[in-house]
Amino acid sequence: MSEAALRANLPQSLLPVPLTVGHVDPGSLDDQVLAFPAKRPPKVWYMALAFTLSLFLMGAGFMVYTVYTGIGVWGNTSPVFWAFDIINFVFWVGIGHAGTLISAILFMFRMRWRNAIARFAEAMTIFAVICAGIFPALHTGRPWLDFFLFPYPNQRAIWPNFRSPLLWDVFAISTYFSVSLMFWFLGLVPDLASLRDRTDKKHKVRKAVYTVLSMGWRGAASHWRHYEKAYLLLAGLATGLVLSVHSVVSFDFATSIVPGWHMTIFPPYFVAGAIFAGFAMVVIVLVVVRETMQLRNLITDYHLEVMNKVVLAMSCIMGYSYFMEGWTAWYSQNEYLTHAFKNIIGGTYGWAGWLTIGCNIAIPQLYWFKKCRTSYFWMIFVSIAVTVGMWFERFVIIVISLHQDYLPSAWRVYRPTLVDFGILIGSFGLFFTLVLLFARVLPVIATTEVKAILPGAQPKHGGHGHE
Amino acid sequence: MSNSEHPVPDPETAPETAPQTPVAPTNVPEDGHTEAVDKTDRGRDDAFLVLGLFENTDALMAAIPKVRSKALGRLEAYTPYAVHGLEDALGIRQSPLGAMVMVMGTLGAITAFACQYWISAIDYPIVTGGKAPWSWEAFVPIMFEVTVLFATFTAGLGMLLLLNKLPFFGHPVLSSRAMSAITRDKFALSVEAEGASRAALDTRAVTQALKEVGAVSIEIVPQPEPAPVFTAEFVLRAIGGIVTACVVAGASMYGAVKWFPELPPMTHMLEQRKLMPQKSSSFFRDGHGMQLPAPGTIARGYLPLGASSQDEAAELVNPLPRDIATLELGKQKFTERCAVCHGALADGNGSLTAAYGAKPANLQSAQFQRYSDGQIYWVIVNGKNAMPSHAADLSADQRWAVVHYVRALQRAQNAKDQDLNP
Repeated sequence: MSEAALRANLPQSLLPVPLTVGHVDPGSLDDQVLAFPAKRPPKVWYMALAFTLSLFLMGAGFMVYTVYTGIGVWGNTSPVFWAFDIINFVFWVGIGHAGTLISAILFMFRMRWRNAIARFAEAMTIFAVICAGIFPALHTGRPWLDFFLFPYPNQRAIWPNFRSPLLWDVFAISTYFSVSLMFWFLGLVPDLASLRDRTDKKHKVRKAVYTVLSMGWRGAASHWRHYEKAYLLLAGLATGLVLSVHSVVSFDFATSIVPGWHMTIFPPYFVAGAIFAGFAMVVIVLVVVRETMQLRNLITDYHLEVMNKVVLAMSCIMGYSYFMEGWTAWYSQNEYLTHAFKNIIGGTYGWAGWLTIGCNIAIPQLYWFKKCRTSYFWMIFVSIAVTVGMWFERFVIIVISLHQDYLPSAWRVYRPTLVDFGILIGSFGLFFTLVLLFARVLPVIATTEVKAILPGAQPKHGGHGHE
Repeated sequence: MSNSEHPVPDPETAPETAPQTPVAPTNVPEDGHTEAVDKTDRGRDDAFLVLGLFENTDALMAAIPKVRSKALGRLEAYTPYAVHGLEDALGIRQSPLGAMVMVMGTLGAITAFACQYWISAIDYPIVTGGKAPWSWEAFVPIMFEVTVLFATFTAGLGMLLLLNKLPFFGHPVLSSRAMSAITRDKFALSVEAEGASRAALDTRAVTQALKEVGAVSIEIVPQPEPAPVFTAEFVLRAIGGIVTACVVAGASMYGAVKWFPELPPMTHMLEQRKLMPQKSSSFFRDGHGMQLPAPGTIARGYLPLGASSQDEAAELVNPLPRDIATLELGKQKFTERCAVCHGALADGNGSLTAAYGAKPANLQSAQFQRYSDGQIYWVIVNGKNAMPSHAADLSADQRWAVVHYVRALQRAQNAKDQDLNP
């Protein structure tokens, strides 16, 4: 049976979904997406930027206060030596994972819908890792000595401890940031060349910036073959990396003997949680972007629905992981582990445990209904619930496990201070400030990649039968 | 930015060599346009490449084999995105990037392992977590990360810098009129001069060939004028720049070396109310950090003598049992502290006697045979005549052990018949 006949017999639900709405051709795509950097942003953008920037500046003030005074201004006290600093670090690194998943893993799976949202998700990865990096740097107490973490021959005649998961973290996060930046920049080069060529000569500064950043890209076929290969290789490398980074983050906990941390399920559980939280954040940002920047024809309802399906799938994995935590506590008959689990559902912080379970497991189940997957109200509601829930999940893991460990005489209830909250809010301010700046300065959609998947973009003959 | 501000070189605004109307090339009247090409072709010995624009990938792919078969020059295509199968049609070989990444990734793994092994097992072997310094399992996460890091930079920078030779802003296509269409939505097939023989490019034949295969516009792109590099102004500026850079670098290094060791960013964690050397203490009323012990304090292991003169000391009783362990200790301490003057046999004939003309007591003499244990002990503690106190050198038990040993020496040197073992 020929392909055309086969397609004619398929039910509507099995036919490939169009990835754009209405007429989109390469030229109109450029006019729509690449026009933003040249346009003056609307008033609402300035207002949003002023808001996020002031949040960030407030957070920066608290950071400076922390560095100047010492981390005694945080709520961290024995035995809860890790609190907001590490919670926020794990939270932000997790947010970043969605970008790499979309840009690398979905690329490997040839999910063509990822092309329209990959650029934004990758940018969010980079911004999230920047936010994440703040916290361990402050957590050391004396950030100006953080270079001690890197192994280089030094006059102190000491080396870092390569058996420490905290050092693995240094390598994992710095590699993750470098690779994400490289991946993002690689995707940007052809788009920047398009921007360069459509920028008029009279905008000298803008033209010069785009010219330098696009490195003289000229779209030669001999360049594209290396480019395509590089992109595929980077996607493959980033796929392994994204799975490893949050696994390494989970080793910070899993290699210790603290009851509630010392579990083999932690690496996959952390990776799934990271993708879960990251997708929710991407959905929130994409909804705002597609509405305010009129990108409904490129980021379609289908995109959002597919993303929400991923959120639902991840929510089920999270549910399984939570269940396994309880199961392990019961099946091991280990009194310390049982105690740690009882604290999650009933102790001083029992409310946080139930908030986590409710936001991460119960609320996303709404996505079984197509109406909830496609309506803005429910989408935003679930995504915010997931973001809150995933932050509290890290709170549950870190604070609840630490505040009552083996030594009852050391037990203490942890209370965060104003500074803790200030820095957390400041990190959100930084993240959204960077997102806002990115949305107006660089192409928010990878035009080159979208052009390549438009109908009729690839030759009918001589190609690899792509369409 | 509207479309009209950035005109796409369509047939109307296309270069002068292109046909004035968008026509299917099969219908192009040959004579009408060869004229136009001829005109512009004159003085175009510097032509570097000829670009033909196509509307879509199908037209481009159809044109390639036809132009290729004519072997007019090196074929290249410029496209807004990666077109599948284009490199096969153009006969471009596979990218060697995969092999490069493989090699560098392996190198990354080896580097990471070698560094960690050398640091942890050889240069700085410290046992952590009860693991042997050479146990390699803990090195795996960082090995993985460094492998990815090396491989990524090879893939990204190797592709841009090594294989594609970017950044390069001087390529003739970049200054062509068709460029803004190429990075937008048009597909260019280009015939380029091969090697150094630029003049070999037959622009007329190439233009003809491109027109035949349906190019909607054709542009002859000259080699850009090489900008003069070593002008007097440039040399002066370069020298000025280097001198300025040296002065700035020198001044900053001087400042850094001079000031930074004395400027820790924040010192108030060190500024505590604590005792500093040569400073008075704010804690004690008399300002001294180190206080004298309270009256009557006894140091651990040093009981007071309980006698104020040698005569009073005569009453003291040796608390130690007379056994082998005590005598061994006594012998050791006597040899260390006493024998050098009093001699190994306690006969006042030590190795220092001859050298310094001193006259230490002969403990074998009748006077000292008569001494009680307590009197000998008192002399060890307080010294006598030229003999200094040994209180600081010997603990109470060690002194009593020495007393036992001196007694043993006295008895050995004045042995009686009944002392012999029957």
